[in-house]
Amino acid sequence: MRVPFEWLKDFLPLTVSPEAAAQKLTMAGLEVEALERTGEDVIFEVNVTPNRADCLSMVGIARELSAAYGLRLTLPEHDVVAETGELDFNVDILDTALCRRYAGRIVKNLTIGPSPDWMRNRLDKCGIRSINNVVDVTNYVLLELGHPLHAFDLDAIRGHRIRVGTPGMIRGAGAQVTFTTLDGVQRAVPGDALLIWDAEEPIALAGIMGGSATEVNGTTRDIFIESASFDPVSVRKAARTLGVKTESSYRFERGTDIRMLKKALDRAAFLMKKVADGMIYGKIDLYPKKYAPAGIRVRYEKVERVLGLRIPGEEISRSLGALGFTVEERGDAMTVTPPAYRTDVTRDADIMEELARSYGYDRIPAVLPEAVLGEEDRESFRKSTMERIGSALKESFLKSGFTEVINYSFMGVRDLEILGIAADDPRTRAVRIQNPLKVEDSLMRTALLPSLLRNVVHNVAHGTREFRLFETAKVFLDGHPACGGSPGNGRGGELLPDERKRLAAVSFREKTRALYPEDTPDFFVLKGVFEAVLDDLKITDCTFVRSHEPFLHPGQSADILLGGAKVGYIGALSPVVIERLAIKSQKPSLVVIEFDTEALLPFASRDVRYKPLPKYPPIERDTALMVDADLETAAVMSRLREYPSDLIEDTILFDVYQGRNIPEGKKSIAFTIRYRAADRTLRDEEIDSLHSSLVEYIREKTGGEVRS
Amino acid sequence: MLEDLKETFLHELKAARSLADTNQLRVKYLGKKGLVTAQLKALSSIAPEERPAYGKEINDLKVFIEQDLEARDSRLKEEELRSRLLAESIDVTLPGKAVSHGREHPLSRTLSDIVDIFVRMGFSVEEGPEVELDYYNFEALNFPLEHPARDMQDTFFVSSEVVLRTHTSPVQVRGMEKRKPPVRFIAPGKVYRCDADITHTPMFHQVEGLMVDRDISFSHLKGVLEAFLHRMFGPDTPVRFRPSFFPFTEPSAEIDIGCILCSGEGCRVCKGSGWLEVLGAGMVHPAVFEHVGYDPEEYSGFAFGMGIERIAMLKYAIDDIRLFYENDTRFLKQF
Repeated sequence: MRVPFEWLKDFLPLTVSPEAAAQKLTMAGLEVEALERTGEDVIFEVNVTPNRADCLSMVGIARELSAAYGLRLTLPEHDVVAETGELDFNVDILDTALCRRYAGRIVKNLTIGPSPDWMRNRLDKCGIRSINNVVDVTNYVLLELGHPLHAFDLDAIRGHRIRVGTPGMIRGAGAQVTFTTLDGVQRAVPGDALLIWDAEEPIALAGIMGGSATEVNGTTRDIFIESASFDPVSVRKAARTLGVKTESSYRFERGTDIRMLKKALDRAAFLMKKVADGMIYGKIDLYPKKYAPAGIRVRYEKVERVLGLRIPGEEISRSLGALGFTVEERGDAMTVTPPAYRTDVTRDADIMEELARSYGYDRIPAVLPEAVLGEEDRESFRKSTMERIGSALKESFLKSGFTEVINYSFMGVRDLEILGIAADDPRTRAVRIQNPLKVEDSLMRTALLPSLLRNVVHNVAHGTREFRLFETAKVFLDGHPACGGSPGNGRGGELLPDERKRLAAVSFREKTRALYPEDTPDFFVLKGVFEAVLDDLKITDCTFVRSHEPFLHPGQSADILLGGAKVGYIGALSPVVIERLAIKSQKPSLVVIEFDTEALLPFASRDVRYKPLPKYPPIERDTALMVDADLETAAVMSRLREYPSDLIEDTILFDVYQGRNIPEGKKSIAFTIRYRAADRTLRDEEIDSLHSSLVEYIREKTGGEVRS
Repeated sequence: MLEDLKETFLHELKAARSLADTNQLRVKYLGKKGLVTAQLKALSSIAPEERPAYGKEINDLKVFIEQDLEARDSRLKEEELRSRLLAESIDVTLPGKAVSHGREHPLSRTLSDIVDIFVRMGFSVEEGPEVELDYYNFEALNFPLEHPARDMQDTFFVSSEVVLRTHTSPVQVRGMEKRKPPVRFIAPGKVYRCDADITHTPMFHQVEGLMVDRDISFSHLKGVLEAFLHRMFGPDTPVRFRPSFFPFTEPSAEIDIGCILCSGEGCRVCKGSGWLEVLGAGMVHPAVFEHVGYDPEEYSGFAFGMGIERIAMLKYAIDDIRLFYENDTRFLKQF
């Protein structure tokens, strides 16, 4: 809200500089975000928090300064000295919960014209456009006292009658009402929105905006000024449904001062007489249930406990008094009654804030608490294992040259189409956002890969030829009873998606000239990084089988299985997908991996059993086996490892070769077997015979031939 | 005679350029048919009384030659090794093979700096869902339906009951529902608001903190957060607490630090005020305690929250928040 400093001086004998006053307001909770100098004046941009509706006016701000500086507040002149006639008007409030007070006055024989300079000037500083002297007065009073008013053209009100009610109340349930507001828009009014009606038709959206039919214009002579109290929730709902937000609705939503209402009405009449030569007639004021302030009990001990300091009783009374509260001391507690404009103050915590605020946050000592250690529970162990997995993963990828990225948790339908994900794939079960900023960001990610591919496109487009990226984040799978992953042990878990932590990485490389050649295929580089993590976490039960992911190269991809269940995949991105992404690059190598990191948890082990260091030397034997080219190496190696002998310490693959000297359709697999006994030095002859039977075994199992 | 022999030897030794040369000399002088050996053999032809003296002279010459040859050998060996190693020279000015480690995202790094400080103060780390019930995101945090406070946070809706969490504060409620006081935890994570410009992204990160026990006061809130800010930004950083409003805390505070870019002089980043807002905090509102079944007469506590992007932007002097989510390696590699 814009507050001209000069205007505040109408109500307070301020002698401090604008900067000092701004600082004072900021430290009282009314943050002055900016100071703007215009000619003689300084305008404060004050951030009024939603609880402080009472500060949405010049008087409201002045009132805070009067408390802070101990200065006397003078309200503007509003005495209606002369009333010319009676009011022949009928007002009915149909629901006193929606409208707790309705007052109005008639002013006749006005001369509509431009407002005087002083008024236009102040409205202008506050960012309000001048319309004519009558409308300007209502806006001026709104800014000055914070109470919204509305002026109707009296002649346009039919039947000398005002009714306050919803379409449902006036026309019966289900009534369809359309209404043209003074901005010329015809609006369909919801059945529960509060309207002001004359004898026949609606004439205003209560507290939001008047109608065009009763608008005050150049030909208006007589007006009816409305000053009323409308229910905040009702105004907010109607304004939101209709998509209108006005200075008036903004204040009603936050709560207005039911007592200021009459002052505002009289002030407006007073000013109209002054600036438009009007004749003020009598008023109407329907106020069925008088506002009765409720006292709040506050215990001194609690104040001390919550604020961490003891404020003397008389200082409490003085500072609350300065803010307009009345305090009654009663032994170890006090009863505090807030002023009518402080609708936000309803319980003892609110009083404590007022005390802390006027005492000054900076005067409250800073003390470190003495704390009791919290309880450890079963979940802590799970959490710390998960943290360990998280940091092992992150460290491993960082060390291997992968740079961490963080993407929005969004994706679009198009992302799934690019990947060729089928309609029955669980990854299509995405949480849909009702009000996304962009279509391509309208779903919550069910996979991390789409975001990483967006990163690839971006970086390639910016000329980066080689990079490795990874991300750890949650994916969201809808239609899944929340369990495991989400701490959905609270209420409503069935409404929430399953949130799972995943890791995805991409390695992108174009054929570039390099000083030192890197000849390991990227697939195996990435697989090695993943295996290093498994090793760190002592996970052994992991296997790789050929993958059928639609977006991967069918010959260069694998599903990652833990304990036999798929937890992710690794592979070269399919050239089809690369083409769909329109990555401008010559034969890029683009390898990706994505897996569920929470799925590692049950397989990770923190148990390490020490094995004594060997006392006796090993004997090693190398063998090369020629097998069918399509036989997977893992099958050969696992056959070797299953050979029953206590003397085999390790089985090491050191060469896989196809080409010269190897017949078409065959490949050579070379491995070393390291033999060792725990209790003696092995003899060559013994190992020779063991090794040849092992070779015989593997030859038979694989149908291979030993190469010499 | 022997003098001549020595003279010749020394002359030839000087010419020896390799171990082969010295070996030749060894054979020539000390071999079975060598010149010195020949002298020894010829000793019998010398007068018996001169033999001992002459014999000693020959022997001295022999030792002299042996020693010289050996010395020469070791010098030659050294030289040979040297020249062989020199032949294996590489260009040491070539760059090393790049072992490029990846970089942690600046937000991750900032987040873990923050988490570390609180963990050292004995806070544990909690997590909560990012797709959250309206109940936890708003209602239990004392944001009633149709309350203007909801306007403070532009919300992404999934359904009438489900939203993308707009702050990490719902974890407070979930955390308290799970256990009785004392509680002391932080909850870092992603949050969402439908807003996008140079200072807003639709997703960003927050760290929430909560401490509840008997006798936890506003003084403690100040103590803990001052300690945190001094560890994060340096022990001499000025810290200012001022009143503010959050529906789930009362009293509420916003916390500023002296502008780290202009040292409080006033600059573009602090909008001339000399202060930067970095934290929101307050004493947990009794209505929140009532929602989780804590008795507000018995327990009190404080909660706080901060935006990680804001802190990272200040720390690294980044002026456009969107850079964090573009994931351009030219940006990420700078950290």
